[in-house]
Amino acid sequence: MFATSTQRSFWMFKDENDVSNARLSANIKYISSRGRNMTAEERELQFLNVTEEKILIMSYEYQLRDFCRKFLPPMPRYVIGTALHYLKRFYVNNSVMDYPPKEILVTCVYLACKVEEFNVSMDQFVGNLKGDREKAASIILNNELLLMQQLDYQLTVHNPFRPLEGLMIDMKTRFPTFSDPERLRSGIDEFLEQVFYTDAILIYSPSQISLAAIIHSASTSKENVDEYITKILFSEDQKRLLNLIEAVKKIRVMVRNVQTPHRDVIKALEKKLQLCCNTDNNSESPAFKKRMKQSFDDEESFEDGQYPSADSDQVRSMLMGMSEMGKI
Amino acid sequence: MDGNDQTCPKCKTTKYRNPAMILMVNACGHALCESCVELLFAKGSGACPECKCALRRQNFRIQLFEDPAVDKEVDIRKRILKEFNKRQEDFSTLREYNDYLEEVENIIFNLVFDVDSTNTNKMIDNYKKENKDITMKNRNRQSQEEIELEELLEAEKAQQSEKANSYVNAELEEKKQKHKAREKLIDELMFSDADAKSIVASHVQATAALAKEQPKAAAQAGGPVVKSSKFSSGIQIGLRQNTSSFLPIPKQQDLPLFHYSAPVFDYNGPSPPAIEVLGKLKYFANIRAANATERAGGYTEALSCCRALQEAMGGLFYIPQSGHKTAVAASAEETDDMETA
Repeated sequence: MFATSTQRSFWMFKDENDVSNARLSANIKYISSRGRNMTAEERELQFLNVTEEKILIMSYEYQLRDFCRKFLPPMPRYVIGTALHYLKRFYVNNSVMDYPPKEILVTCVYLACKVEEFNVSMDQFVGNLKGDREKAASIILNNELLLMQQLDYQLTVHNPFRPLEGLMIDMKTRFPTFSDPERLRSGIDEFLEQVFYTDAILIYSPSQISLAAIIHSASTSKENVDEYITKILFSEDQKRLLNLIEAVKKIRVMVRNVQTPHRDVIKALEKKLQLCCNTDNNSESPAFKKRMKQSFDDEESFEDGQYPSADSDQVRSMLMGMSEMGKI
Repeated sequence: MDGNDQTCPKCKTTKYRNPAMILMVNACGHALCESCVELLFAKGSGACPECKCALRRQNFRIQLFEDPAVDKEVDIRKRILKEFNKRQEDFSTLREYNDYLEEVENIIFNLVFDVDSTNTNKMIDNYKKENKDITMKNRNRQSQEEIELEELLEAEKAQQSEKANSYVNAELEEKKQKHKAREKLIDELMFSDADAKSIVASHVQATAALAKEQPKAAAQAGGPVVKSSKFSSGIQIGLRQNTSSFLPIPKQQDLPLFHYSAPVFDYNGPSPPAIEVLGKLKYFANIRAANATERAGGYTEALSCCRALQEAMGGLFYIPQSGHKTAVAASAEETDDMETA
């Protein structure tokens, strides 16, 4: 349950400022470690600041959604929800410049599929990607452990979908005066899609989010479900009702403020990212390749015949093959 | 490998054609089926069909191993070890013992593979002459050990048979007693003047009392007579000292008894209806019914309905707070500052 979950204990924030602060600290850490000898202006030019990072992350969240929508076999929405959760959590603690978001994105989806028991083999999975499949597979597998580590190995995510179903059932049973809550479905689905682009999932509980979805959808269709909430759900706890109303209001505001980032803005930010990103983690860079090659050589010198012996030519050709990654 | 080499090399009968075929192996290590052996010696000629070495009827043994070569080696080994039966105690150093063993193996190898047989035989004869007395002593020692083993086995057998006897006797005793008691009852009913019911009642009591006494008596009789294993001075009889004293079982401490306490859930929200009342409250109308295969597996609509409701209600009272580690660290810093300030 959410109340006893790690999500509640470790991955919740007080409000949006809190989340931004966390992101800010990750950003500052990266900049200070890389741009030690620069002035403040140079840093501003060279590195991305927090708002820019946020915009970038949002664009990648859109990309994730698109990827999952076209996924074969068709991916259920709770898997997408979990993957988005992971992506958000990862980039709360780490900077976008530190780890390339494209790689983390596919790794999140892969891990979410595993965790939510949506069984997709690696071959099936990379079949949905364009470009070099083997390279993609190796990228995913290399990043999986890193992702789990950054999530503190707390992989259970509570999405708003099941509470939504529960509330629907409850409404149909205990609030029969409201005819056919199924009418609200499309509005609800849209709301829930949008809410994943905000930070609401890191601040409010999933049942609160689903209740906000119902209320929003009802109000857009000019219906009123307040009676349900006041009389039936919260009949005993009037003071908590106020708290809930606050929460719902804030969630709706957040969703309303979601802005799809503009394509040109994104392109500019991507270019900037390429310049300032951490090349050790970026699988295209020569520094990364060098490091991988070194690790291969080291392994060979330690054990005899235990690892598949890749002589240096093979290694070089394998690394050359990892030239283009961006076609996801 | 089905069966033992299936075909006899001489007559080529197989185990298919003659399932009772038994292969016999001779001193030179070749196999012949029983009928061929008889044939060979009925004709009077004594030559192995494969290698033409002279054979005697006695030298044919029933093959125990699939590979006749193994059988041959086993035979030779037995023969040699009867002669070469020195033990580790007979040698002063381990090295000498190992050398001796190697010599024995060499001899066996030579005999099995017909390598240098004349020399080998000479060596055997030499050894025999030199070590006659030691060989004899070892033989006697071996036979003594065998005798002791047999004695132990016999003692065990005797014990077991005595136990069986005692059980049989006990049963017979019981039967006799029952019979007696019944006769007594009948006699009393016939001859005494007392009320029939009271006689029966007293009789029943008597049998109950008897039944209680019997197990006690059996325990006292104490099974068969156990052979004493110790002399009065404490020295143990018999050679093999296999008495293992078991360590005492560690005492189990008296731990507090298990007490079941039902788990309490804190939903942090309005409490959902309990799973038992969901049907009455008509929730199932709004949920997909379980089909036959699901019900067979134990799934009911109540389960998923209950879970959905729990998740829906749980967390509705939630107030945002910071559980995230960065936020927790930041707030800790703040409190530190406040304390120092």
